[in-house]
Amino acid sequence: MKLSPLEVMPAAAVAPVEAPATMLELVNVWKRFGEAPAQTVAVSNVNLRIAKGEFVTLVGPSGCGKSTLFNMIAGLLPPDDGALLLRGTSQRDGQMLGQVSFMPQRDLLFPWRTVLDNAILALEVEGVPRKVARERAALMLPEFGLKGFADHYPHQLSGGMRQRVALMRTFLFERDLLLLDEPFGALDALTRTRMQHWLLDIWARHWRTVLFITHDIDEAIVLGDRVLVMTARPGTIKSETVVDLPRPRDPSIVTSPEFMSLKRRLLDEIEEESRKTFAQEEAAS
Amino acid sequence: MSKASLTTRVLRSSAFALLLVALAWELAVIAFAPSPRYLPALSAIGRDAWSVWPQLLACFNRTLLETVLGFALGAAFGCACGTVFTYSRWMERSVFPLFVVSQTVPIVAFGALIVIWFGNSLLAKVMTAFFLTFFPVTVNTLRGLKSCDPQRIALMRSFGASGLVMFVKLAVPSALPQIMVGLRLGIGLSLIGSIVGEWFGETVGLGVMLMEAMNGDLVVRLWVVMVACGVMGMLLYGGLSLIERRLVWWRSEA
Repeated sequence: MKLSPLEVMPAAAVAPVEAPATMLELVNVWKRFGEAPAQTVAVSNVNLRIAKGEFVTLVGPSGCGKSTLFNMIAGLLPPDDGALLLRGTSQRDGQMLGQVSFMPQRDLLFPWRTVLDNAILALEVEGVPRKVARERAALMLPEFGLKGFADHYPHQLSGGMRQRVALMRTFLFERDLLLLDEPFGALDALTRTRMQHWLLDIWARHWRTVLFITHDIDEAIVLGDRVLVMTARPGTIKSETVVDLPRPRDPSIVTSPEFMSLKRRLLDEIEEESRKTFAQEEAAS
Repeated sequence: MSKASLTTRVLRSSAFALLLVALAWELAVIAFAPSPRYLPALSAIGRDAWSVWPQLLACFNRTLLETVLGFALGAAFGCACGTVFTYSRWMERSVFPLFVVSQTVPIVAFGALIVIWFGNSLLAKVMTAFFLTFFPVTVNTLRGLKSCDPQRIALMRSFGASGLVMFVKLAVPSALPQIMVGLRLGIGLSLIGSIVGEWFGETVGLGVMLMEAMNGDLVVRLWVVMVACGVMGMLLYGGLSLIERRLVWWRSEA
């Protein structure tokens, strides 16, 4: 028996669907630490959905469970409750390991490896022959501003360069989803701005889906398609703001009135959460 | 390199310091003329060494062989045990305390037992050297492997690394500086071990010469043996440092 497409699908689905495919979805995710009386809830009831190719930034007061959330998405921590879906498929505990390119806050370069060999670490783990991996990485050096530094060791590099090596390592681990945990947090303001725009450049060319943690609101707005704000502990998604600033974004965008109004709104929200965190800490001490 | 910096390098080198001490020694003996029983002149020690040169050389080589073999065995065993203890909690809990206990028994007390077990052979001395070496290597390997940065482990896991890959690419290199500390402790101890081992029956070796000198009241000979031991220790330590510089040349980071 053959059916025409119209008979198989409801009429609404036949119409061209514009919404891009979902890359990652978190449904009602919880994480608690410790046993009953002294238990802390790190992450509660997190629901979020990231489309393919989207750049989503996540801001929140310190200690709100951002990193816990990231560790869960990277597969390093199992969630206590809730489901994690990658490309629509539910993931069991530990299944996310090796599926997302994860970049933690510290660059974590290996001091005994050169810039090039640090960059290919993930490829080596995957079993790509060293020679092939090195050739592939060498081609990317100029793009990451590391031309001529292939054989340098991490201790010979500036903070910004080390961060770029770490980023290159993350990019060379070719997964569709990138998790960046405050990658520019330790850099000075000028270097940070330069790195942000450079990252946008790279992102535009490589077209990966990015989830980016930061505690810097400017950074969140400049980079993101959407800004998610997390609440104070127990962390959950408080709000979601679509950033409709045009791309490519210029460093001067931070002075535009649209940027300012977005920033004002987000600042108010985060300020409220910071106050809560502060009050919690006061009460605890 | 400029000429001035070369001069400073020479002046600051350990060889120059050694030369200075030797010179001071010789001059002090000439100036104060103490009885040779208390402090013989360096030149007298040199003359005595020359008079027994073939024997001294044979003894030196024999003790060196025992020390190197004992050290190599102890280092290999120590690294293996440290690794097993790192990855097996029950092995650490049950066997490691026995290691500690074994080290509280003085090596001299073991001497007779070792001769009974291994006879009057090369192996007996190698075993005493081994016995002193493996413990510091075990402890430092264990410490080095355990202090591996948990964030780096998490990073490797996020790449999907297996336990073996993690061990080879992360745990071992990051433990190397600590393992080298254990080896440096071990090399000095294994020299002691082989000399003590020779006291329980042997005909060649620096330990034997030491005993003969003591029994025959040959004070200058005693000094000869001490200097020879010092030279051997320096050689071994220097060789190890050379290996260390090849293996662990990066600066460790906090």
